[in-house]
Amino acid sequence: MAAAGFSTLNMEYLRRQSESDTSSSESEFNGENAEDLSYSDLETLPDFLLLRSNELRALQLDHNEILCLPDTISSFRNLVTMDISANNMTILSPELVKLHNLKTFIARNNCFDTDSIPKDFGLMSSLEVLNLGGNNFKELPPQVTELEHLRCLYMGGNKIEVINSSIKSLTNLEVLYLGGNCLTEIPAEVGCLHKLTALVLCDNQIQSLPPTLIHLQQLRSLSLHNNQISTLPTAIVSLNIVELSLRNNPLVDKFVQDLVYNPPTLLELAGRCIKIDGLPYSSEELPRHLVQYLDSAHHCVNIKCKGVYFSSRVEQVKFVDFCGKYRLPLLQYLCSPSCSTVISPSPSYSSDSEPEEEDNTKERMRRVLLG
Amino acid sequence: MEIESSNIPMECESHEVEEPYSDHTKVVRPKSLEELIQELHKVFDSDKVNVDYVKRLMTLYISNRKDWKKYAKFDPHRYTRNLVDGGNGKFNLMVLCWGEANGSSIHSHANAHCFMKVLDGSVREELYDWPSEDSTETSMSPRQKNTYEKNSCAYISDEIGLHRVENPSHSDKAVTLHLYSPPFDECESFDQRTGHKNTVKVTFWSKFGKRTPYGVCATTKEARKNAENN
Repeated sequence: MAAAGFSTLNMEYLRRQSESDTSSSESEFNGENAEDLSYSDLETLPDFLLLRSNELRALQLDHNEILCLPDTISSFRNLVTMDISANNMTILSPELVKLHNLKTFIARNNCFDTDSIPKDFGLMSSLEVLNLGGNNFKELPPQVTELEHLRCLYMGGNKIEVINSSIKSLTNLEVLYLGGNCLTEIPAEVGCLHKLTALVLCDNQIQSLPPTLIHLQQLRSLSLHNNQISTLPTAIVSLNIVELSLRNNPLVDKFVQDLVYNPPTLLELAGRCIKIDGLPYSSEELPRHLVQYLDSAHHCVNIKCKGVYFSSRVEQVKFVDFCGKYRLPLLQYLCSPSCSTVISPSPSYSSDSEPEEEDNTKERMRRVLLG
Repeated sequence: MEIESSNIPMECESHEVEEPYSDHTKVVRPKSLEELIQELHKVFDSDKVNVDYVKRLMTLYISNRKDWKKYAKFDPHRYTRNLVDGGNGKFNLMVLCWGEANGSSIHSHANAHCFMKVLDGSVREELYDWPSEDSTETSMSPRQKNTYEKNSCAYISDEIGLHRVENPSHSDKAVTLHLYSPPFDECESFDQRTGHKNTVKVTFWSKFGKRTPYGVCATTKEARKNAENN
């Protein structure tokens, strides 16, 4: 019963989220104070447009040859939505920053890189939707991470090699599109984006995902296809993802027990005793650094084991069944090599140890769009 | 009644010899989506479907955003299916909106004729053979890959095989116009790694320009069976 109520909430939330994303800019483009000059062989803004500069709220300039926006762009003070895609532009006019009402800025398929972005671009606090897909970015321009009110950031089809940890400042982000770049990993700070509902990482060279993804409790879609992922963090099972794409990743076929184990230090062994036996400790008895160390203990992921570990742990690949369709390899950390999960020899349904908690979380995985 | 001379034996006298919508070289270009729909109604009124004729008809319509803008509703998480015309029960005509990198699973088409015309952007199709009927798990690999640019039209049926359709672009959306005859609301979706199939329901994001949420699933088991695939 609780599961049914939960899914009601999810579907409603999903529906409202997705509609709010596109409807606002769409309605601006359809409104009266809109001008559509796309596909018009323009090299600059036509004079007649300036006559409407005060009243225009939406402006479509995509698919022209406007290599640089003229300074007069700043007179379009009431612009809420603007599209300058496909203009072979290499530099963004700093005058753009004066558009204090701009919420949606689409600049796909131009020739921009980080140097093209005006240095004050980060001051455009009105921006909510920014699309810089199909350009020449090698990284996220630092100015972009200053846009605190950003809800949707599209940087697909660039040449981005690294995402800076400063992405964590974009706390209002709901959609993060990084598909078609040159990423090999994403920073743990992506886990700070608690409002994220859509995360697109397909077509990169990503080898692993940070376990901090567990914090993305609003995540509804995760696009991972065409990467170099061999395992996924266990955290993924506890998320409420409705759309997951995994095809074309070297996910391991057979069960592979990959034991990587550094023997624990004396400190770790002592720490484990204290935590497992539940011995009380406080900063009155112990130096602060030891209290912090003890507080940092992780529980062994094997629910039936009460073990803990600090830094020494066993990495194990465990196969978890999703929707009876496919067995995903999840990377998990056990406290020691002797702590193992029993593998029962069943064909395609749930195989490994199935604690109740895991059954519930798997129930929430609704659909997997597989290869 | 006039009977046009032809080379076929004179068995039939009481009805027209020539079938109206069977010669694809005689297709007239529809000037708008509305005109295309009207023509499709006429074509599907007769009981025979000439695949070449329908394909040519759909190809000749030149995509005009003003015609289909009201059906182009995008979702940030997945592609959407937006019903345009119910074809008097003989066919379904719908607009599919593919966000950047959105794709479908590998799927079949419920024994129906399926036409897909690109209205905006471009889409990539991977063709697959049906997995063998025995229970061995074999991974599926595409036998052919096609890219369809704006205004081109593809055709598939279960006889031809299975396919996956996706928008390969990371910076452009894609919009496609699909015709299915007869209409269906269930098809099979395949797991590429094993060849296993699941029957899935296909639903509409919107109908006739109006948003139609599928509705709350009573159980997660039901939700798992449902999938918005084309």
